[in-house]
Amino acid sequence: MSSQLPKSSSDEFQDPLENYDPKQYDDPLEEALATLPVSAIQSTPYAGIDPNTPISEAIQRLAGLQVACLLVEEQQKLLGVFSDRDALDKVALEYDEMKDRPVRDVMTSRPVFVYDSDSSAAVLTVMAVHGFRHVPVVSSSDGKIVGIVSPHRVTGFLQSYFETKQ
Amino acid sequence: MGLHQNMTAEPVGRLELRQPPLCGPTDSVRTAIEQMRAKRLGCVIVVDTEQKPLGLFAESKLTQLLAEDPARLDDPVCDHLTNPWPCVRESDPIAMVLGAMQAANVRFIGVLDKDGRVVGLTGQKGLMEYVSEHFPQQVMVQRVGSPPPAEREGA
Repeated sequence: MSSQLPKSSSDEFQDPLENYDPKQYDDPLEEALATLPVSAIQSTPYAGIDPNTPISEAIQRLAGLQVACLLVEEQQKLLGVFSDRDALDKVALEYDEMKDRPVRDVMTSRPVFVYDSDSSAAVLTVMAVHGFRHVPVVSSSDGKIVGIVSPHRVTGFLQSYFETKQ
Repeated sequence: MGLHQNMTAEPVGRLELRQPPLCGPTDSVRTAIEQMRAKRLGCVIVVDTEQKPLGLFAESKLTQLLAEDPARLDDPVCDHLTNPWPCVRESDPIAMVLGAMQAANVRFIGVLDKDGRVVGLTGQKGLMEYVSEHFPQQVMVQRVGSPPPAEREGA
């Protein structure tokens, strides 16, 4: 006896979205943000740091590289971020007591990130809703760090639509 | 109208402006840091007696000072200003904020009234909030498990 039921026309899968018309955009910038993936915005290179690095060294790295944010990583997995905001809030006025402690003590743990497959708009909404200026990008396939989207990189992306696509 | 057109047509005053901490030029960097912490902002605007801006002291400059010599936190803040620092008028189009941020590679833009006095601060967060208004679905689907929104600007 067969375990298969006879096929009838009513059993055939009907994709509810087969007649779906994707949204049409009049505005090129809005279309780009809605449809292009995060990878359309520059996210590399990024500066990484080991969680056991002393805070004084992390400060030197921020200043030396002239970046505002370091990704704290272990085997390319994101543990946190250490930014100039962390330096302001947790280190600046307490520098002598803090300088030799590991950066993991003052990093922002569990930072909000986006996957490289998310839309470009996702990065901007993370910045708007969560108030983070730097948004790490993580691979949706293996969870490893891909890079970071900074304010300058976002404004560069937006600005390109004002320079060439008016 | 779409986002591009709106940014070209709508004025800076349409953005959610923040009230920045203000310092006098003889205040120390330490005082500026305390003000920035109290206001949960990454910069302080240094103004003259008429509230006209002399420049900006931002956290990026603070990191440089800590790296060079932490004793310099006792310096007058006016010795360490970002200058020139771009400002816009309330009536300028929002696209001008974007252009100023990109050209000067700064995150904070001063907003001045017609007499050149500081009326607020905008920059990356204000701009991103404005852009995000055009993507309400993205705002609604912020990933579950993300930390709650912080009451601050920047990280």
